[in-house]
This record gives sequence, structure tokens and C-alpha cells, in this order.
Amino acid sequence: MTRIDTGILDTALDPAAALARLAGADLSAGGVASFLGQVRQEDGLTALELEHYPGVTEQALARIARTAAERWQLHRAVIHHRVGRMTPGEPIVFVGATAPHRRAALDAVGYMIDLLKTEAPFWKRVHTTSGSHWVDAADTDRQAADFWLDQMASEDA
Amino acid sequence: MQITVRYVAALRDRMGRPGDTLTLAADTADSEAVIARLRETDTAAEALAHPSVRLILNDAIVPRPAALADGDTLAFCPPFTGG
Repeated sequence: MTRIDTGILDTALDPAAALARLAGADLSAGGVASFLGQVRQEDGLTALELEHYPGVTEQALARIARTAAERWQLHRAVIHHRVGRMTPGEPIVFVGATAPHRRAALDAVGYMIDLLKTEAPFWKRVHTTSGSHWVDAADTDRQAADFWLDQMASEDA
Repeated sequence: MQITVRYVAALRDRMGRPGDTLTLAADTADSEAVIARLRETDTAAEALAHPSVRLILNDAIVPRPAALADGDTLAFCPPFTGG
């Protein structure tokens, strides 16, 4: 039985603790994979602000983790995502998976972060020394999500 | 029938307000009718018609066009940029 753990945090995310919980709790998993996204330091950037759509975001994260858990037969699937205001270097998102072997855990983490980018209702706003603006969606994010969806569709066919 | 409309993130800034309440004829009520109605009086509503705009109907992400019922809340969202 897969354990799914997803959620939104409005206070600091502790990736070391999240990884320790993931690895330590599952001794039958030979593979533990994770991804940590953090606020990138760029010229003039003072803060990053994450807005989401309460009620819908939580469902989207749970759905992405459940799909990954079924597809890769995971023991555990974790997605923790920050909202609110963050400074450069602060963690934004932690994605983790445990499985009997590495390939399933690694692919599941790739799937979850790529799908999260296009299927979970979050919006980034950048604050700089000269003002603030909303971040535009990247075509490469759409392509990354499509890679997994195409692969899963061809396996189902 | 009455529809609550919400504008999210960059679209909220573009529209200059968080939302509207609209009364629509029940036989033509869908997301595109909402956009058409708003465009009659507000040139900023052109942004809602862009194909990249996503819809959240009540508590679900739905494809366009979305059929509407009395009392629904329809949110117009820019492309998602989390992670």
C-alpha cells in the first residue's frame, strides 16, 4: 500500500527533515529519490511570492502523487510545496519517492515535478529592486509534462 | 442565472479587480459567454480569451469551454508557474 503525503506550507520547508522521514520510514525501499526546488538568485531579485488556488491545489498535488504511485509502484510519494513570500536560496518544493529499485523512484520524481509545473495551480511573482512582475510560463515546462504523458499514453495503448 | 467570476494572479492585475458577479441567460451560459459579456464593457477582458488561460470551475480544473449552472464560481487563471 502506497503512502501518499502531499501538502501546501506557508512556513519554511525543511528538506533535510523531509528526506530523513522519507528514507527512514521505509526500510524495504532500495531506492529513495528526491528533488528540491529553491529560489534562484538573480540580478536584483529580492523575493519570490507564490500564490495558489486553495482547495484545488491540494487536490492537484494528491492526484499527481497518486498517479505516480500507481504507475511506478511506489512505496511512498511526497510533494510539499511552499506558498507565500520566499527569499533567494529558500526551498520552494520538495518531491520524493521510495521504491524497491532506483529507476522507479527517479522516474516518479521526474514525473511529479514536471506534472506539477503545468497541472497544479500555482503562480510565481518576482519582486526585484525595481518593482515586481508575474512569471510567464515556460514552453519547456509544457514539453517536459508532455514527455511523460506521451510515454504513459503509448504504454497504455 | 448568476455566476461569480474570479480573476487570478496576473489576470487579476490585468482586470484591476478580483472578480465580478454576472447574470447570464441560462440557455447560453458557458465560459465563452462570460468572456463575451465582459468584453462588451471592458477591453481588458480580451486577455481572458487567450488560449493559454485555464479555468477552475468551483473546485475543479476544467477544459474550455465550460458549461455553467446557476451559482457557479468560474475562475480565469494564467498558465500555472509553480515548482
